[in-house]
Amino acid sequence: MKFFSFFLIKSTGLIAISCLLLGCAKDIDLSQREDITLSPDLQVDLLIYNINESDFEDPNTGNLKTRISDTVRLEFLDDDYIQKDLFSVSFYFRHINTFPREIESKIRFLSESNAEQFSVNYTIKPGANGNPITTEQYELIEEDRINLVRRSIKMVVELEVQPGTSAFEGELDFASKGFFSFEF
Amino acid sequence: MWKLICFFLLFSGTVVAQNKPLLFNVDDLPQTLMSNPGAQINFTGHIGIPLFSQIHLSAGSTGADLYDIFADDGGNINSRIQETMRNMDSRDYFSVNQQWEIISLGWKLDKKNYLSTGIYQEMDAFAYFPKDPAILANEGNSNYLNEPFYFDDVSFTGEIMTVYHLGINHKFDKRLTVGARAKFYSGIFNAESTGNTGRFTTYTTPNGRNVYRHEVVDLDVLINTSGFAPLKEEEGMTVEQATAELLSRSFFGGNVGFGLDLGLSYILDEQFILSGSVQDLGAVFQRKEVENYRYFGAYETSGIEPLFPDLDENDEAIPYWDIFEDEVDRNLRDQTTNQSYTTWRPIKANFAMEYGFGPAFLPCNYLSVKKVRYMNLLGMQLSGVKRPKGFVYAFTTYWDRKINENQRFKLSYSLDDYSLTNIGLMYTRTFNKFNVYLAANNLLAFPNLAKAHSASVQLGMQLVFNN
Repeated sequence: MKFFSFFLIKSTGLIAISCLLLGCAKDIDLSQREDITLSPDLQVDLLIYNINESDFEDPNTGNLKTRISDTVRLEFLDDDYIQKDLFSVSFYFRHINTFPREIESKIRFLSESNAEQFSVNYTIKPGANGNPITTEQYELIEEDRINLVRRSIKMVVELEVQPGTSAFEGELDFASKGFFSFEF
Repeated sequence: MWKLICFFLLFSGTVVAQNKPLLFNVDDLPQTLMSNPGAQINFTGHIGIPLFSQIHLSAGSTGADLYDIFADDGGNINSRIQETMRNMDSRDYFSVNQQWEIISLGWKLDKKNYLSTGIYQEMDAFAYFPKDPAILANEGNSNYLNEPFYFDDVSFTGEIMTVYHLGINHKFDKRLTVGARAKFYSGIFNAESTGNTGRFTTYTTPNGRNVYRHEVVDLDVLINTSGFAPLKEEEGMTVEQATAELLSRSFFGGNVGFGLDLGLSYILDEQFILSGSVQDLGAVFQRKEVENYRYFGAYETSGIEPLFPDLDENDEAIPYWDIFEDEVDRNLRDQTTNQSYTTWRPIKANFAMEYGFGPAFLPCNYLSVKKVRYMNLLGMQLSGVKRPKGFVYAFTTYWDRKINENQRFKLSYSLDDYSLTNIGLMYTRTFNKFNVYLAANNLLAFPNLAKAHSASVQLGMQLVFNN
């Protein structure tokens, strides 16, 4: 009995002290915390519009206005997370056209002082009433050109109707999105 | 009497909890009265060494350990974080609890009653893993189109307080001992956010206006804080100043609350003992230095729509962005208020049954009415803590061995959310009247804490009197 008690005391003490003294963290490298980044990829809708021939009418004369444009400020482009942590953007633009004519689309990104940073230009293919034609365009801005996005604050959408003989009637539907990749 | 006992044990069993199982039902240690004021005790008085009578630390994470994130295996830490986050779910949680006994003393009033009192400081933090918001922040919405991100996942509580307590342990008859402890809480700091709702979804819309539709539905996130606002306002406050500010609230300077511990133990026959307790049935009334942050509303968008032409009727550019921002602000709102709120303490409860065997002896002390002490006790204990999404349970079996009059150890095995291999050990030794004890859970994890999901340690020293 005495031996048993002695054994219990010694082994209990030894186990307890060993466990506490040996209590340490192994096989890890805490300095890796400096490499921790958040890398969200965000899909964000940008602009939409749906216009018809009335949007191309000159309000004063009622004649066809072959070139129309509008400007939208994208204030979020000035935010800290864009300025510091954005490393690539892929823009997607889609037109669905039932106008029977080609339309030149110019999408321009301007700085606060209206200096053009970059633009995406393409031709919207003609469609027909009951036969909408889709035109899609991608623009990838990677790290080497990302400053162009960071300096932009305005998005200008311009449309220029190309000459043609058919009656200018139909609809033009526009969708756009950005795929923003960050590294915080 | 049986009805009362059954009701109490049933109640204990349904609310169950305990974060220091190794100190439960250790009748040599005054700390057993802190987890069960109705425990069988085997001493006639105690005085804790101020600030050293109990230091308790426990921390745990059910979903990840340090190795999962910081493994030194040449891999990429961000991939490991992503993998770990994907493997966890919104019921995984992180928990830290610390208690520091400042004063502890007690004495036998007469043959039937033992009075104990003291002061301790406690810090308790508990947070569920906010899986959806965390994945949205870390990975974005691109890989999760048409899948909602739930803000319900945001759920946490955290508090620091000083607790002043006074308890009585009453030997009702030779079988039943009951006890109660009144607590006065002096809150130092509190932050909580529970019961949140809302979801954010990016839907693909093949026939819609744009490629996607972004939708926030039923958003209602509320974060209550007390004791945080003054720290936030003091720019340039050093850690020492912040600590001093927090400590100044320890002595009735902060928010107050009241609570109650109840407990009993019942000797079924000489060898079987049932015991149960409920701790911290109480609340803290947060009235001072309160700030509430609320985010609420609903909104959906598919993008900004330019109207053509470029200028409005006043020949000015149409401020599409400002209009959009105003619309968002009208629909997704945030408010900072100073409304008082009440926080319920995390109720803890324990239910234990133990069986004594081996050579028995009778303590020779006229004040002690406990009849028989066995050298060995085999027991099982169900415990739990009430947390925002329900009870967190642990089931412990133990062998409690009295080596001799002055030494004792308790070896335990617990099943809990953290581990299936949680082996704990408590050792206590008394030199004349001077008692020291040390207890640690999850011993197998101690050689490499990086791979441990939890660990807890209690240690202390005190004078314990038996006459």
